[in-house]
Amino acid sequence: MRITVTVNGEERALDVEPRRVLADVLREDCRLTGTHLGCEHGVCGACTVLVDGEAVRSCLMLAVQCDGGSVRTVEGLSGPGGEPHPLQRAFSAEHALQCGFCTPGFLMVAAGALESDPALGDDPERVAALVGSNICRCTGYEPIRRAIARAAGEWPESPSRGDLRS
Amino acid sequence: MEQWSRREDERLLTGEGRYVADMDVPGCLDAVFVRSDVAHGVLREVDCSAAREVPGVVGAWSAADLPGVPPCARPTGMSRDLLPVPYVPLAQLSTEEAVAGREWPVLVRDRVRYPGEALAVVLGEDRYRAEDGAAEVTFRIDPLPAVVTPSAAADGTVRLFDGLSNVALRGEAGKPIGEPVWREAAVVVEGRYRQQLLMPTPMECRTILAVPEGDLLTVWSGHQTPHRLRRDLAALLGPRVERVRVVVPDTGGAFGSKSTTFPEFVAVAFLAVELGRPVRWIEDRLESMMVATRGRGQDQRVRLAADADGRLLAYELNIDADIGAYPHLAAGLPMQTAWMATGPYATPRVHATVRSVLTNTMVTYPYRGAGRPEAAIALERSMDTLARRLGMDPAELRRRNFIPPEDFPYETPTGRHYDSGNYAAALDLALEALGYDGWRAEQARRRTDPEALPLGIGLSCYVERSGGESGGLHEFAGVEAHEDGTVTARCGTASSGQGHETVFPALVAETLGVDGARVRLVEGDTDEQPDGVGSFASRSAQVGGAALRNAATLLVEEARARAAALWEVPETEVAWSDGTVHTVHGGSAAMDLAELVKATGPMRVDGRFESGMAFPFGTHAAVAEVDPELGTVRVLRLVAVDDCGVVLDPAMVRGQAFGSAVQGIGQALYEGIPFGENGVPLLAEALLDYLLPTSAEIPPIELRDTRTPSPSTPLGAKGAGESGCIGTPAAIVNAVADALRVADPDLLQMPLTPDVVWRAARAPKLPEEVR
Repeated sequence: MRITVTVNGEERALDVEPRRVLADVLREDCRLTGTHLGCEHGVCGACTVLVDGEAVRSCLMLAVQCDGGSVRTVEGLSGPGGEPHPLQRAFSAEHALQCGFCTPGFLMVAAGALESDPALGDDPERVAALVGSNICRCTGYEPIRRAIARAAGEWPESPSRGDLRS
Repeated sequence: MEQWSRREDERLLTGEGRYVADMDVPGCLDAVFVRSDVAHGVLREVDCSAAREVPGVVGAWSAADLPGVPPCARPTGMSRDLLPVPYVPLAQLSTEEAVAGREWPVLVRDRVRYPGEALAVVLGEDRYRAEDGAAEVTFRIDPLPAVVTPSAAADGTVRLFDGLSNVALRGEAGKPIGEPVWREAAVVVEGRYRQQLLMPTPMECRTILAVPEGDLLTVWSGHQTPHRLRRDLAALLGPRVERVRVVVPDTGGAFGSKSTTFPEFVAVAFLAVELGRPVRWIEDRLESMMVATRGRGQDQRVRLAADADGRLLAYELNIDADIGAYPHLAAGLPMQTAWMATGPYATPRVHATVRSVLTNTMVTYPYRGAGRPEAAIALERSMDTLARRLGMDPAELRRRNFIPPEDFPYETPTGRHYDSGNYAAALDLALEALGYDGWRAEQARRRTDPEALPLGIGLSCYVERSGGESGGLHEFAGVEAHEDGTVTARCGTASSGQGHETVFPALVAETLGVDGARVRLVEGDTDEQPDGVGSFASRSAQVGGAALRNAATLLVEEARARAAALWEVPETEVAWSDGTVHTVHGGSAAMDLAELVKATGPMRVDGRFESGMAFPFGTHAAVAEVDPELGTVRVLRLVAVDDCGVVLDPAMVRGQAFGSAVQGIGQALYEGIPFGENGVPLLAEALLDYLLPTSAEIPPIELRDTRTPSPSTPLGAKGAGESGCIGTPAAIVNAVADALRVADPDLLQMPLTPDVVWRAARAPKLPEEVR
């Protein structure tokens, strides 16, 4: 089935089997391997990407469901000149990653939420709820919570960073 | 680079990391295994013929199809049978005797011994095709009764191997303790503890990609011991393969579970060679939950004797270990528990026995802590029981029995040679950080307030072993200086998230006195670094770091020798500082490494360096509140004081300690594998059926440390990273026992689910007069 998906701002014409999940199409067809598969049944959240700005478990969504839509992955997180996203800087600063396998999922969950409402960083409970949506086995989560709060504090005033979503 | 805390961070945060599943190899086939749906049974038939007709399927094989039968339309010249899974002699994890007569076939030949054991393998042009094919494989198994606990298996009614005992290995540490000791002791407490089976659950499941090119087979795998994997595969595949190279790219966590040669790995490498095509196996989560190695799995009985003042007289630990269906990987692992049974106390008599029992479960293997949590939990729970019996403060009881700092090195009754320690210092710091007296006051207050939820305080003083066992306490490392002023460090370790690329170059740079940015690390590639032992047993910093320090020191010696020859002065006249050689008595002669390499040629030293075992220790203390009506446990506070000697990178060690403590909380409160009556794990909801801690379960955790250098290694560093799995569980369970004041603490078996706690809350309490 032929579909058109805007991936990280770039329009892509893809020919995919209807049964293929979004994560596989991103990884294999688009060669965007930053999206990782940790459980393939929607629990761990490692494969989280933004579909039309909303965080989605890409292992639970068929690629054909994204026809005409836009997808943003961890590869689309840094700025146009390649400068790191505030979340990327904050994750490193807070040691919020060790093996790095779950990291893209946490980054995208946080990116989606902060872009909708940067003020959520001021509310520890909302940050905690965000972190609670994914699984990490290395860090014990506390550094991830700190990193998201830190990135929220450094969030750019203008919503320009969200441009790639549309 | 300054904007990134670790060198690994930039690629891992931008999607540029490269894990095995990310590698793009043209023509690569995906392997999918067809797995048994019963735990134990006789395999009557496997039929792969329909699978071979599925479009995109390249081949499908059962054990009976190998060798001989062409597996698909295209003959492949299959000429050799699959060799069975090798056993692990390293660290006495397994022995010739344990595996004698007990073959572990890569694909089931006639008897299924654990649920999910592989019956057939299907290769497809992609994963979807391979799965399509696997769905067409049919098989027939006549089920046998399954035994999933050591006690059920040990009675021998159901045998896993006909004519052979289910007890694959027996062992002991220390000397048997005579009955008079127990009879004459003022107090003897007994306990039974279940160390439940755990799933290590790294976020990346197991991976292997085998790429044959002529006589070379390159194997990519997320792995902790690439050199062991290379050795095993070379032995299994030779002489068809001249050379095996193993490369470890980014690895998504391991926690001990990625350090051996699994049946699936053998199948994939074998088929890649036979077909002359790249083949990969990317384990999925459900598969991992069914057939990845488990951790822990012990049923323990203990006796602890003390005099009326609380001085320990004797400790006995009997272990029935659930080693799973095959003894090949870790029948000897429970001996780690036996050897560490003494703990931090100067108990004069300690005796530990082990029976390693085969059961119809997937194989038990090291998981973060690997034998030491089981030792610490049994002893520390018993210490709290003893303190209650004596009416003594549990902190005081421990303090009274610690091996004093001046007694190191200390030979334990169970055969360990403790290098250094100051156990009281760690306990004191933990009590202070926790605010122990304040919590005791709060506990007393709540006991008089009928509205208040009961609160308990739990202590756990542990000592563990890091570095490995005799015969595996060395590591290979090299340092090479280049003409452009850069330095390459090589080491036989392999990182799975511990930040070696950051820590090791800094260590080498410090030793050489050069800018850290000029040093880069190469590891996890058996071509780049021909020899290596690997990363397990908290050995990378302690043993690998020492080997790198040694290599860097040898490079300095080499540089001084070369400069002396160049300048025609005695070596004693050449000094080294800040990355340069210069003459001792001033003079103008001075060269940095780059100039020296330009003047004298390539400069590289490689070496094997032997370290000693080290014994990290600490005290973890937990405060928990229990709701007796709901059976819920709320950890209000956890303090972890760890001592891993000299710390190479404090932020990195903190990260390890924190993550490890959270895994320890998992064992104490949440994680357990639900088994059905038929021995098959109940995993209908997959990862939701196995309760890994999420961020909602993390209590306030405070990490502190003391630093008692190890005399066993030149760096003074002891292993870090397993402390939380070892120290935390008993602290939490003890806190719950303290809150509920149950007369029979054996009722509290991990994980302390609401069901367990609710029942314990209804059991008889300790009499009021006892504290």
